[in-house]
Parts: sequence; C-alpha cells; structure tokens
Amino acid sequence: MAALLRVEELSVGFDTEDGFADVVDHVSFDLEAGETLGLVGESGCGKSVTALSIMGLLPKPAGRIHGGDILFKDESLPRIPPDRMRAIRGNRIAMIFQEPMTALNPVQRVGHQLAETFSLHEPGLSTETVTRRSLGLLEQVGIPAPEQRLLEYPHQLSGGMRQRVMIAMALASGPDILIADEPTTALDVTIQAQILELLRDLQRDTGMAIIFITHDLGVIAELCSRVVVMYAGRIAEQAPIGPLFTHPLHPYTRGLLASIPRLDDEPKTLLTTIPGSVPGIEELPSGCRFVNRCPFAVERCHGQAPVIDAPAPGRKVACHRWREVNAGDAEARST
Amino acid sequence: MTSYFVRRFLLIVPTFIGVTVLVFVLTRLVPGGPIERMLQEAAMAGGDFAEATSGYDGLGGSALSDDQIAELEAYYGFDKPVLVSYVEWLGKVLVLDLGTSTRYNDPVWDTIKERFPISIFYGVATLILTYGVCIPLGIVKAIRHKTAFDNVSSALVFFGYAIPNYVVGIGLLALFAAHLEWFPLGGFVSDDFYALSGFGKVVDVLWHATLPLLAYTAGSFAVMTMLMKNSLMDNLAAEYVRTAIAKGMNFRRAVFNHALRNSLIPIATSFGSNISLILTGSFLIEKIFNIDGFGLLGFESLVERDYPVVMGILVISALLFLIGNILSDICVALVDPRVRFGSGESAQ
Ligand SMILES: Nc1ncnc2c1ncn2[C@@H]1O[C@H](COP(=O)(O)OP(=O)(O)OP(=O)(O)O)[C@@H](O)[C@H]1O
Ligand SMILES: [Mg+2]
Repeated sequence: MAALLRVEELSVGFDTEDGFADVVDHVSFDLEAGETLGLVGESGCGKSVTALSIMGLLPKPAGRIHGGDILFKDESLPRIPPDRMRAIRGNRIAMIFQEPMTALNPVQRVGHQLAETFSLHEPGLSTETVTRRSLGLLEQVGIPAPEQRLLEYPHQLSGGMRQRVMIAMALASGPDILIADEPTTALDVTIQAQILELLRDLQRDTGMAIIFITHDLGVIAELCSRVVVMYAGRIAEQAPIGPLFTHPLHPYTRGLLASIPRLDDEPKTLLTTIPGSVPGIEELPSGCRFVNRCPFAVERCHGQAPVIDAPAPGRKVACHRWREVNAGDAEARST
Repeated sequence: MTSYFVRRFLLIVPTFIGVTVLVFVLTRLVPGGPIERMLQEAAMAGGDFAEATSGYDGLGGSALSDDQIAELEAYYGFDKPVLVSYVEWLGKVLVLDLGTSTRYNDPVWDTIKERFPISIFYGVATLILTYGVCIPLGIVKAIRHKTAFDNVSSALVFFGYAIPNYVVGIGLLALFAAHLEWFPLGGFVSDDFYALSGFGKVVDVLWHATLPLLAYTAGSFAVMTMLMKNSLMDNLAAEYVRTAIAKGMNFRRAVFNHALRNSLIPIATSFGSNISLILTGSFLIEKIFNIDGFGLLGFESLVERDYPVVMGILVISALLFLIGNILSDICVALVDPRVRFGSGESAQ
C-alpha cells in the first residue's frame, strides 16, 4: 500500500544575510494512514521547517524547498497550484503549534475562529450546523461548558484550553494528517499529559495520522508507533518505537536515550548529557554532522557523509559505524 | 463592558479638576499675572511699552478702565482666600462663564464659541483626511513592503513631514492662489456666501478649504502611515495569522479578517491626542490663510495679553484633550476585547 504521505529527499534552505543556508538536507520518511510518527531532535535540527514545508507554510520569500518532493496521496505538494494547496491545508492536513497563547487571534471570539474553519472548507453550512458542530468539537477535545467558551475571547482561556481549541480547529474538517509541532512544550506537566492523552484518544477515534514533533523522547514513547530522529537537518535514525528504545543504532539516539532520567537511576546522580553542542549552520562538518560529539567517531566520519543503511525492515540509520557500535553493545550485554 | 466606560467617564472629573487647578494657579502665581499685567499696561497706555506690545496689529495696549480691572479682580476673586476664589472660579467655569475678553469686551465664551464651527470643520476634515489616507496607504505599504510603491510613497510622506506646514501653506498659497489663481487667497467662505445655493455653499467651503487642508495634512501623513504599516507588518508575522493560513485561508483574507483589526489598536490609541491637537489648530496656518480659528484666537490673545481668553482657551483645550483621550479609550476598547473584559477576569 502506498503511504499516505511520502517525504522524499527533502532539502530546504533559507536565504540569509550570509547567503543561502541549508537547514533540511535530504530528509525522507513515510507516513502511513492512521499511524503516529514521532519526529525528534534537538532544537534547531529542522523539525519545524520540515513540518512547515509539508504545510506549504515556509516563510516567504526566504524559505525555499530546493530539492526532493513531498507526496500526499500521490500529489506533489510543492508543485500543486496555491488554491489546490489551500484546499488541502487545514482540510486534509492540519497543524497545531507550540505556542497556544499566541496562536489564536486575540480580538476574535473562539466560536468565530472555529466557525471560520468550517466556512473555509465547507462553505454554505447553516449557522445552526456550524454551531452544533463547533460545540461537538469542543466537547470532543474535552472543553467543559462549550456553549460559554464559544462566546469567549482567547485571553479568557488558559494555555491548555487554548491548545484544546487549536486542536478542535484542526479537527474541524476531519483531516487525514495532523501535524503537531511541540504542542505541549509551552504547557505545564499535568496539562501536557492531558493533551497527549487527548491526542491519543482522538487518533484512536478518528483514525487520522499524526506527525508528532518534539525534542522529548519520553513523550514519543507515550504516543508514537514509529520515530524519525533528526540531527542538524538530516535524519540520523528511523525505527519503530520498541526497537528504537531497546536497540538504538545511531550514537546520537543512544545519547538521547541515555539522557532521559529514569526512576531506577541512583538518586542525585548527574544526568547524562551528550557532550558538545549542535554545530551552527555555518560550521557544519563536511562528513557526518554528529562527528564532533560522537564518542565513536573515526577518520572516515570526518571526511565522508554516511549513507543510509536499512539494517532491518522499517529501520534506517545514517552512521558509518553502527555495526561496530552495536557489536560493542552486544559484547557488553553478553559479559 | 459598560462598567469599563462608566469608570472611564468618572475619571474625567478628577482629571478636569486637576487641570483647572493648574490653570488657576497660573492666573495667580505667574509673575505678571493678569491683574498685574493689566495694571501695567493701563499705566503705560500710550507709552513705549504699549507701543512695543501693540505692534501686532494695532489693537492691543488699549488702556483698561478701572471698571475692567475691578471686573477682572472680581472674576478671579483676588480679594478672597485662594481656596474660596478657586471654588468660585470653578463654579463659573462650569457654567461657561469664562470672564470678559479685555480686547473685545465680549464674554470669553462667546468669543471662543464663534470660532468653534471653523475649527471643528478643519479639525474633523483633517482627521478624516489623515486617517482616510494613512490607513489604506499603510495597509498597501505593509503588503507591498520593499516594492517600488512602498519606497516612493515613503519618500513622499517623509518629504511632506520634513517641510514645516506653514512653509507648505505659503508655497501652496503663492503657487495656486496668487500665481495660478485656482484657489482663493484665504478666508473661510466667500463674501457672497449667503447668497449661494446649498450646493454652492458646500463647493465654496471646500474651495476655500483645499489649500489649508493640504497644508495641515501634508506633514501628518508620515507618522500615521508608518505607524499603520509597521503595526500591520508586526501582525502579519504573528502566529495567529499563520494559524489562519494553516486553516486554508488565503493571505488576503487573513490580512483583512485577522491582522487588520489587531493592527488598528495602536492607531486607535493615538486617536485621542490627534483629535484634540487638530481641533486647537495651528495659528501659523490660520494666519497664512486668514482663517478665524482657535489657533489664531489663542495666538492673538497671547500677543494682546487678553488673559481671560488665553485662560479660557486653556481650559477648553484641556477639556477637549480629556474628551479625546476618552474617545481613544473607547476606540481601543471597541477593537480590543482584552481591554473591555480585563485580562484577569476570565470567566469560569
Ligand atoms: N526564517 C528563517 N530564516 C533563516 N533561518 C531559519 C528560519 N527559520 C528557521 N531557520 C533555521 O532553520 C533551522 C531549523 O529550524 P527549525 O525551526 O526547524 O528547528 P526545530 O527543530 O523546529 O527547533 P525547535 O525545537 O527549537 O523548534 C534553524 O537552524 C534555524 O536557524
Ligand atoms: Mg520547532
């Protein structure tokens, strides 16, 4: 079966004051209908840019897709005319953002902003239908007293409620794909958990596919069936959730996993972190981009970018030495 | 929402009292206060001093009679304790008894009242022109940021801004009235105004108003246009606009349905100070075009040391300023629900 969404060798760059900067480099992944795909990586690795490319929302004119393709149901999103893209955007593919506090228009009532989504994709609905469906959506996303909320302004809602409203707007036309770009990062922990649970329930009930973007592998574990790990604009590793946590192949993924605090850790031990920091766009190494932070780096890693290996079905890894790295692992386990 | 406006209106009272205290203190404490000045002028009537101060247009320096002085003293209550005389004076101000002009011997309120229609006409026309031009222009400039249209219009509005408005006035007068004779040399209406038909009257007023209005507004486009442009550009970059576009809305509709109203908030805030500034006019332009407005009245009264009129104008402009501020608060509250409902009082 063909995937619902295929991102193929996507390369995206920005015109900046010091020339053209490549921020997403040959990124490929598939999204099947109904699945939840996690997209993880440190801040600045290109997660949002990838998502915005899919949505056709790259900042214009600075941002540009200059290579690869994005296929949604076999339509090439970067190549379709703008009005066709508008019919897909918010309708078949919807997106929610990191900052619920600023993502809603402060001077319009919640109900108005919700109704607008209907009017965009299903013009001609009667006011009663729109109100009824808006109420239904607010109920679906767990907002109490929805009649009253429809009449309120965003500043009268808490951050968690606003994110629920954003989710409701995204659900309005029953999209095939929901892209959630760090939807819980700005919220406090209990609210975070509620929103994650909501997304999980919604996905189960509606069958939509979700691309869940985060820098937190812990969140990924709760929600996703497959994970794409990005590092400095490239894919480091791609794997189903279970194997990724039990047998991470890429040294970067191993580092990420090691830096998740665990309950069975000795209390008050230092958290493990990956030494060093993500290279800036101007100082990207010519070989593997993780080379300056990688404990396994050898000569070859400096000179030559790794090709992507597919060690098992559904698994991909971009590392010269993933075999050696994991052989060491197996050794460690067997002793 | 209503309670917000009620609170806002109640605030007029203490503010107005504050303003009147200031004006009153001026009449008392400033060296050469009205009485002293009047006495001096009266004493020197016909002498060098009067000559010097009356150079303006031969009206000033007229000797004050003992009656006039007594009247002034009585009006300001110089013979009573400060507090008593302030309260009495305030009482008079409240019923618009602003004293008697020493120049015209008319009640100050009547003198001021006469100028109202002209000043209001020019004030409102300037306001409409300024907003009518700046808001659309700012919107187009924001959408077409850094295009030729944007650059050329910026150059034009800043050119207008850089030239003092009286220079614009003199230039226009010299070219279009004196040289080309397309427009009258000045005045508010023609001498035969009352003989004209209704439509003819309108045309006559507009014909007289064209040049002064151009002079008034030429410099005022820059600030408001750039304010509108920058405010809209900020909002175009805001996340809620991206949300709207992510819903599938086209850019144009996102601009007008979402960004525009938010970007009008700073414009609404500046509305109040504009309205009062514009109503009080500019004496230079009024002088150039021979318009009998507030600005000219204030200037002539100052030169003539017609203190009752000066003080009266001060009180009236302060009141206008207060009203202007309230109007802009109302405008802001109309566009911004966060003001109306208060950020704290989220409904449960
Ligand atoms: N408008 C822009 N102009 C120039 N560079 C940009 C622009 N937007 C993003 N970038 C660059 O693209 C890179 C990737 O940014 P992106 O926002 O996708 O990161 P991210 O993975 O989403 O990070 P975060 O976790 O902080 O959201 C960054 O290095 C950033 O500097
Ligand atoms: Mg991001």
